Amino acid sequence: MATLTLPKHSFSSLLPSQTPRTPSSQSLSIVSKSSQSHFYGLKLSNSSSLPIPSSTPAKTSIVAKVSKGQVPPSFTLKDQDGKTVSLSKFKGKPVVVYFYPADETPGCTKQACAFRDSYEKFKKAGAEVVGISGDDSSSHKAFAKKYRLPFTLLSDEGNKVRKEWGVPSDLFGTLPGRETYVLDKKGVVQLVYNNQFQPEKHIDETLKLLQSL
Amino acid sequence: MTQVCGQHGLTVPGCTTVMISLAKSMVAAANSHIWLEPMLAGYIGYILADLGSGVYHWGIDNYGDASTPIFGSQIEAFQGHHKWPWTITRRQFANNLHPLARALTFAVLPLDILCHEPTVQGFVDVCSGCIMFSQQFHAWAHGTKSKLPPPVVALQDAGVLVSRSQHGAHHRPPYNNNYCIVSGIWNEFLDEHKVFEALEMVLFFKLGVRPRSWSEPNSDWIEETETHSQVTVH
Repeated sequence: MATLTLPKHSFSSLLPSQTPRTPSSQSLSIVSKSSQSHFYGLKLSNSSSLPIPSSTPAKTSIVAKVSKGQVPPSFTLKDQDGKTVSLSKFKGKPVVVYFYPADETPGCTKQACAFRDSYEKFKKAGAEVVGISGDDSSSHKAFAKKYRLPFTLLSDEGNKVRKEWGVPSDLFGTLPGRETYVLDKKGVVQLVYNNQFQPEKHIDETLKLLQSL
Repeated sequence: MTQVCGQHGLTVPGCTTVMISLAKSMVAAANSHIWLEPMLAGYIGYILADLGSGVYHWGIDNYGDASTPIFGSQIEAFQGHHKWPWTITRRQFANNLHPLARALTFAVLPLDILCHEPTVQGFVDVCSGCIMFSQQFHAWAHGTKSKLPPPVVALQDAGVLVSRSQHGAHHRPPYNNNYCIVSGIWNEFLDEHKVFEALEMVLFFKLGVRPRSWSEPNSDWIEETETHSQVTVH
């Protein structure tokens, strides 16, 4: 199914994207400069691969990108114990929702362990931490157990929520993006941070924001 | 680990084809009075050989096994090298070089025959020569300073050849860096920019294959220590 994204800005220029990402950020961006990632590449705002021109009319859906100041689409997903968890459960407190590529990959392990190691700081700020990837509940369970992760991991099978939130892919759509959202007590996004290859920075940036909320 | 006839039989043609390429480029350069371009091309060949050695080394270290077609024996050899790294210093010249020499004979000989352009030849001879001798540079990187010839130590210290310390880092956990073994000039860039990690992620998501470096070091990676001495890096 082809997916149309309404780009907020033209693709005509290659400008570094801003991190944290604001509504004024460019759609087409160089990963490294803005996100301080050391890997230089192009990133597209579309959460799926580029729309492929087709001679037959394709079924399209419009995917809006979640940005600062917006209330993101709600979701209900299964956690590592197979229980359903909704985003609405966290209303009334800040919540850090971080999308990561996959369990048991180097960057994701570093990120999860960094969230674990700073979890007390998140608790002190009254925030919850929720990790989301396309892995199933059993993968999350094993991952959480192996690294003693104290927070919730949600299974976004089929990457539906990732697409709904407009999490951008990296490396020409070959890698699921690594993007973190901080929602305030009212459920409004206050920070969007993207960095594929410096996963620990997600923790620093989110804590910085939480301390100012 | 002494060399045997078959290994000689592969190393000699490999060296010969590289020397022919070098001679041709020098003669062609002299005849056409063009020196800068072939020398520059040679330098680019030296730089790219280092990159190529890193990519190949990364692939062999992380994917496949002894049963993999074409590369199986190399993969097995590299795995053995991680377990017993010091043994590379005890292999004789042809023993270390013959696999690369065989591949390069086939690749470079047609160019020797067909190509007469000094700049192209300059690139080919230096690039192929560095690739072929990369295993010797690698062996020297496992040597001890006191036992290496002083010119080799000088070249390592100058960064012309991969240094003992830089390559030593590759043999320590997590075994996922410092893959280049000609000069090592690409190592910092490739590691700092997580190039191989990115490639590993792409291969994982596209093909479902996990590189060996993602797993906990098992007995295949961990160096066995010798009872009498272990090569240490100075």
